[in-house]
Amino acid sequence: MAGALTDEVKSAEGGFLQLHKDYLDANSLSNDLLEFNKAGIERFESLKFPHPKHEMFTFVNTREIASTEFALNPGGTCSADVVKNHVYACSEQSCLVLVDGVYQPELSDLSALAGKVELADFEKAFSDEKLKQSLVESLKKETDVFSALNAAFAKQGVFLKVLPKAQINKPIQVLLVSTGAEGKPAMSAPRFCVHIGKHAEVKIIVKTVGDGNSYFSNTVQDYFLDENSSVIFSQVQADSKESWNFSKTFVRLNQYSRFKSTHAMAGSKLTRNNYQTHLCEPGAELTMNGVSVLVDKEQVHQYIQVNHHAPNCISHQYFKNIVNDKSRASFDGTVVVDPGAQLTQSDQLINNLMLSDEAHADGKPNLMIYADDVKCAHGNTVGQIDDEQLFYLETRGLSASVAKTLLTTSFARSIIDTVEFPEVVEDLKSLLLSKLERNHA
Amino acid sequence: MNIQTQSKPQATLDDVLTDKSEYKYGFTTDVDSDIFRKGLDEDVIRALSEKKNEPKFMLDFRLKAYKKWLTMKSPTWPHVHYPPIDFQGISYYAAPKPKKKLESLDEVDPEILRTFDKLGIPLDEQKRLSNVAVDAVFDSVSVATTHKKKLMEHGIIFCSISEAVHEYPELVEEYLGSVVPIGDNFYAALNSAVFTDGSFVYIPPDTISPMELSTYFRINTEETGQFERTLIICAENSYVSYLEGCTAPQFDTNQLHAAVVELVTLDNAEIKYSTVQNWYAGDRETGKGGIYNFVTKRGKCLGKKSKISWTQVETGSAITWKYPSCILQGDQSVGEFYSVALTNGLMQADTGTKMIHIGKDTKSSIISKGISADKSSNAYRGLVKVNKGASNARNYSQCDSMLVGDQCSAHTFPYIESANSSANLEHEASTSKISEDQLFYFQSRGISRENAISAVINGFCKEVFKQLPMEFAVEAEKLLTLKLEDSVG
Repeated sequence: MAGALTDEVKSAEGGFLQLHKDYLDANSLSNDLLEFNKAGIERFESLKFPHPKHEMFTFVNTREIASTEFALNPGGTCSADVVKNHVYACSEQSCLVLVDGVYQPELSDLSALAGKVELADFEKAFSDEKLKQSLVESLKKETDVFSALNAAFAKQGVFLKVLPKAQINKPIQVLLVSTGAEGKPAMSAPRFCVHIGKHAEVKIIVKTVGDGNSYFSNTVQDYFLDENSSVIFSQVQADSKESWNFSKTFVRLNQYSRFKSTHAMAGSKLTRNNYQTHLCEPGAELTMNGVSVLVDKEQVHQYIQVNHHAPNCISHQYFKNIVNDKSRASFDGTVVVDPGAQLTQSDQLINNLMLSDEAHADGKPNLMIYADDVKCAHGNTVGQIDDEQLFYLETRGLSASVAKTLLTTSFARSIIDTVEFPEVVEDLKSLLLSKLERNHA
Repeated sequence: MNIQTQSKPQATLDDVLTDKSEYKYGFTTDVDSDIFRKGLDEDVIRALSEKKNEPKFMLDFRLKAYKKWLTMKSPTWPHVHYPPIDFQGISYYAAPKPKKKLESLDEVDPEILRTFDKLGIPLDEQKRLSNVAVDAVFDSVSVATTHKKKLMEHGIIFCSISEAVHEYPELVEEYLGSVVPIGDNFYAALNSAVFTDGSFVYIPPDTISPMELSTYFRINTEETGQFERTLIICAENSYVSYLEGCTAPQFDTNQLHAAVVELVTLDNAEIKYSTVQNWYAGDRETGKGGIYNFVTKRGKCLGKKSKISWTQVETGSAITWKYPSCILQGDQSVGEFYSVALTNGLMQADTGTKMIHIGKDTKSSIISKGISADKSSNAYRGLVKVNKGASNARNYSQCDSMLVGDQCSAHTFPYIESANSSANLEHEASTSKISEDQLFYFQSRGISRENAISAVINGFCKEVFKQLPMEFAVEAEKLLTLKLEDSVG
């Protein structure tokens, strides 16, 4: 059996390598971009496709991806209606649309951001030799094989620079649309990078949606926060049920910068998010909240690393998962406190609510601590609806199903309510909470 | 007891006074060992089996394990670092020269008896004063067994495993390898192929062991890996408490210890297994020498309402790699794990437990306390797994770490996997240092800083210590204080 698995892994690798050759043949790329893409595929080859016991993929079964043949994404377009449906009212004049990883200026509207941001496409960004070199260098240290794969296929992403001291009240929405092609599922590699200048304050909403059935979206997002800057961030995942979604989010925080995020996941056939966060200078603060509501065979796997490199930084993580039917949720999170990162405060809490015996909820909250004057704690629970709470509601005249819905929705609401954008909260109610109502009806 | 001057007559009084926390039990005993040539192949295993005059099923068991071992690789996932071990550079059998069957302690090699004396466990004294039977494993071969008669009156079998292979082959054949299969992991496979001796306990149905059973292990000959094998079977409605304590002499070559312990409980039975481990951890500054403690310990709660409880105090070894586990197969069975792991110097520990819930209404609790000092690294790694059919499973885990000094590290790697909606699992962990406020308070009351630290540390570990039998608890507290003497200041 071990042999069969190795073969599968090898064929997956071969599949992607062939796809990359096709990609190079099909596109005439600038030399700068070509250098980046090549560095990506080289890193992919040296990291190798993850075998089933890979520590970074403990709970993620990559077999189906390994055995699926993917097609190159032709770089599709989508109708203005799709964009209209998914752009929140608060961001109508501050939205960036990427379809299958390709930036669509005609579908985007940045009128509210004039004078506060600078936008560059890949061609332009890569002409900056320094930036290109730093990206190629960082690829050499890449540990996530899917992020390397993204670099190998990324061609038309965006770089957004928020100018120093900019105060942007309207949230910037990044809408990532994936279209499903006919025949083999297509792979896209959306990539965007946001650089927030000193003292700038910005709100960002990232929403991923599917305009098609089966696709493989492999996203990389980078956020660089300069001194004293602040980001309030929301991620909404509303992909097609038949899609594979891999993403890597990189966050670097400099002195006294703040990053506060909420990640709401509706799940898909296989969704895996890798968050790499680095608190690099004193006083940085990171807050990450997450909620997943999963039914049927949906899966969401969160892989998080919080690296405390400097003293006096604070990080909080609070994740909740509700799993029903045959769904699976996992959380694999590590807090690393470097030597010298004294007075670190870090906490991490994961609560799982299991509504079915066929579902799985796995957790691996890790701590790696190399400094002594720190306060670090983590907790992980798996449980079900409390019978006493249910009984109490029933004594007040609520039917069992209404009572269950009330308890499960309030479990999820505690995270959803931390989202600062009312439009997003409403969206999440219909996207996540309606699943719970449907289930108990 | 002035051990240092006894064991090192050349040491001056100054050495003794200035070097008080050096390894207390660092001495070797002059006993002729019957040592096999270095290296491992099928012939060595055949010779080993022949030497021990084993029945065929044992040789088959060993050879099967050896073949499996050849296909396996040394695990790389633990958070420990060490140079690759040359398995062909180890001699796989060392025994004190075989003696005739002994009638009394007087016939035992006086040198060996003196060794035990230094360890503070004079057999004759223990026989008289305490209610403890000691099956002393001296460098892989049992040399003395006391209290055997009294145990036999209750129908309890407590002997070396090589004896059990001859006397009770049907029990050994049925249970050996039933909890830790030969191919379970690299070191368990190696142990299955080459284990030399260990303890065997069988508690018959409806029997409460009249005393706590205890074995003192001691590694003696240089460059001899010790491969112990322990098998404890507790039949219906029975109870036994088993103590294991370890010390080892000081050497410059790393010594490998790859033991396997298997426990089986049938309906309503309970086994309580306690360990105090204080092997030589290597030189404090350079990390040279020291034992590699790669142990597979696992218990299977086979019967309904059965219970297995592990308590461990790990204070020694250069590297500890050990996960005493419970397979909760019987309905309503209970697994417990209480651990204190202290690392100092350059020690590395990756230890924890596995609780596998299979039966219905099973419960497990995990209390783990890690203390790291100096430049050491201390990791808790644990798995709580609830299978699909394990309805109403309950687990509570708590892993606390304490850091002493800014060069050490503490890690927690819990794996929590649930496949049953009625399971209730809780895990929490925290990391902290000894609070200056606490120390100040102690000192303001006239308690020296050193005693204050000792009190805080012992308080931190109290939940675990109270699980230990009395004499072990006292020893454990002393050990911890002794170990941390130079680390906090």
